[in-house]
Amino acid sequence: MTHPDYELDVRQILREGGEPFTAIMEAVAALVPGQRLRLLATFKPIPLFHVLGSRGFEPSAREIGSGDWEVTFTPAAGQSSGAVTEPKSAADGIGAANETWSTPVVELDNRDLEPPEPMVRTLEGVEALSPGQTLAALLPREPVFLLEELEARGHRWRGALRPEGDYRIVIRRG
Amino acid sequence: MMGTALSRWTMSYFTAALVFLVAAQVLMVAGYGFPAVAAQAPETLVLVHMVTIGWLSLLMCGALFQFVPVLVARPLRWERLVLPALICLLAGLALLLAGFLQLAGVFETGISLLALAGTLLPAGFLMVAGVLGASLWGGGLPLPARFVAVGLTCVLVTALLGGLFALLLSGFLPALAEIDFRTQALPVHIAMGLGGWLSFTALGVSYRLLPMFMLSPDRERASSRAVWWGGVAALALTALASPIAALVEKAGLREATNQTPLLAVVFGMACVIIYGFDLGFFYRHRKRRTIELNSRAAQGAFFALALSGLLLLALLETGTLERHLGALLYLVAFGWLTGLGLSQLYKIVPFLTWLECFGPVMGKKPTPRVQDLVMERRAWIWFALYFLGVLAGTEALLVDLPDLFRAAAVATLLATLAIVVELVLARRLCNVPENNRLPEGALRPRLFLPRLPLNSDKWRPQ
Repeated sequence: MTHPDYELDVRQILREGGEPFTAIMEAVAALVPGQRLRLLATFKPIPLFHVLGSRGFEPSAREIGSGDWEVTFTPAAGQSSGAVTEPKSAADGIGAANETWSTPVVELDNRDLEPPEPMVRTLEGVEALSPGQTLAALLPREPVFLLEELEARGHRWRGALRPEGDYRIVIRRG
Repeated sequence: MMGTALSRWTMSYFTAALVFLVAAQVLMVAGYGFPAVAAQAPETLVLVHMVTIGWLSLLMCGALFQFVPVLVARPLRWERLVLPALICLLAGLALLLAGFLQLAGVFETGISLLALAGTLLPAGFLMVAGVLGASLWGGGLPLPARFVAVGLTCVLVTALLGGLFALLLSGFLPALAEIDFRTQALPVHIAMGLGGWLSFTALGVSYRLLPMFMLSPDRERASSRAVWWGGVAALALTALASPIAALVEKAGLREATNQTPLLAVVFGMACVIIYGFDLGFFYRHRKRRTIELNSRAAQGAFFALALSGLLLLALLETGTLERHLGALLYLVAFGWLTGLGLSQLYKIVPFLTWLECFGPVMGKKPTPRVQDLVMERRAWIWFALYFLGVLAGTEALLVDLPDLFRAAAVATLLATLAIVVELVLARRLCNVPENNRLPEGALRPRLFLPRLPLNSDKWRPQ
């Protein structure tokens, strides 16, 4: 049983300065078992490799001219869809005194965005994680609103102002 | 729920403030108060306090309740005093205005309304300063927060002096009647209010807001620290001018007595000039190429501040300060402070509305951008009209043409009303295309009263 690739072109969104992350995650959720996602973008979306990689997708990317990229995400064998596959061991540390956090699966650089976009994109990244997974983000400044929102949503975070003046936060999805 | 990060009563403060701004402008259009009557007349005092307390102070308080937690990255402390403070300020202001009308002979009562106002208003400001001061307390304040701390000290001095005036005018405190309050304490009251509380605090907040919205480097700069020190020196010299003069006189150095106010002006001017350089730095080094209307319109306010400085120097040079003080104060209150206030409201209100409305679904559902809540193409006309009106009004006051002043006041009133309408449209999400106006789970904000936390778990029976 093979399905044709699910094609998503986000180049227009990107050219208009938009953020295609939500559209991509919706497309992933809409995939039928075994179906591949073919994504057209204006750059090589490396952060997305991590996010979808953690959900069992194998990325392969190729440049298709004028700086555009075509990335095909193929579900790994036995992977039915975009459902969560993160091993539960990542969440073991919750409640432990010397908990260890898994390596971030996504690194976001949100320093050049105007508020509240750094918070919006960080939260979008967090919502795409599986419980226990972590995400790292660089933010233009100490994110007061974000911290409260993370707490309200039951996520955990560690962050610090860096000498450069920006703020690096690592968030673990609760 | 996003509500924890939003100051619950800020929109209510803003709304009350805008009502007073519009009402004051309506009175100006009607020819009430200065320049039709003297600057010290009770009618003028009604107008002045509607603008300085009703509009500018309530606006500043509402903004600070929202931004002080951002400045110090700590939540607001003693938040439950915020609503009583608003009630106290509104009641105090109503009594103050009624007290002035009583002085003007509009009506008579056996009660000393001014004395009541002179108690309620300082109490209200004390609560405001308490909440904000407690939130700032804890050391290691970033520079913008240090500006606010000085501003809070100044509002307490202003309110205390105002309270003393009110008690004196009511016939209380006969022991103080010997002191010439009008020449000694009134300039301090005005300078601490307009300069220390409103302007200095606005400077501090702008040091954070402008870089934040234009993505300019906002590391603490030596020049910004110099602005703070210059401002503190100018304010301290102004506040202590009379005691210093008395001391100098006692020491037998009569010829030196007039140097204090001059020195205060020098420090104040230096402060404004260096601030100008800092602003230039923020605008030049911004990472956002397209500059939004709030930052563009704020330039009108900065221009008015520079113009106020130049006008002050020109009036001092020609010895006509006393005659044209009204024009100068009008330019400061409407060009600089109101201009900055309206331009920043144009960003803050949509921003808070966005957080309130879309915060709960952020990252889970596609949401409009903050910029989708406003229509800059339309609104820039109102800001242009506003600043042109203020310039014309100042000019009319300088050349003593009261009718031209009223015509200019019509322009500023219309522009203000249009900006208020834009704010209401933003708050009602009217500019957002209908299809993504309210994703499931988003909360439509109320116009200006906060949502009570009825849905919160703590209200549910256990």
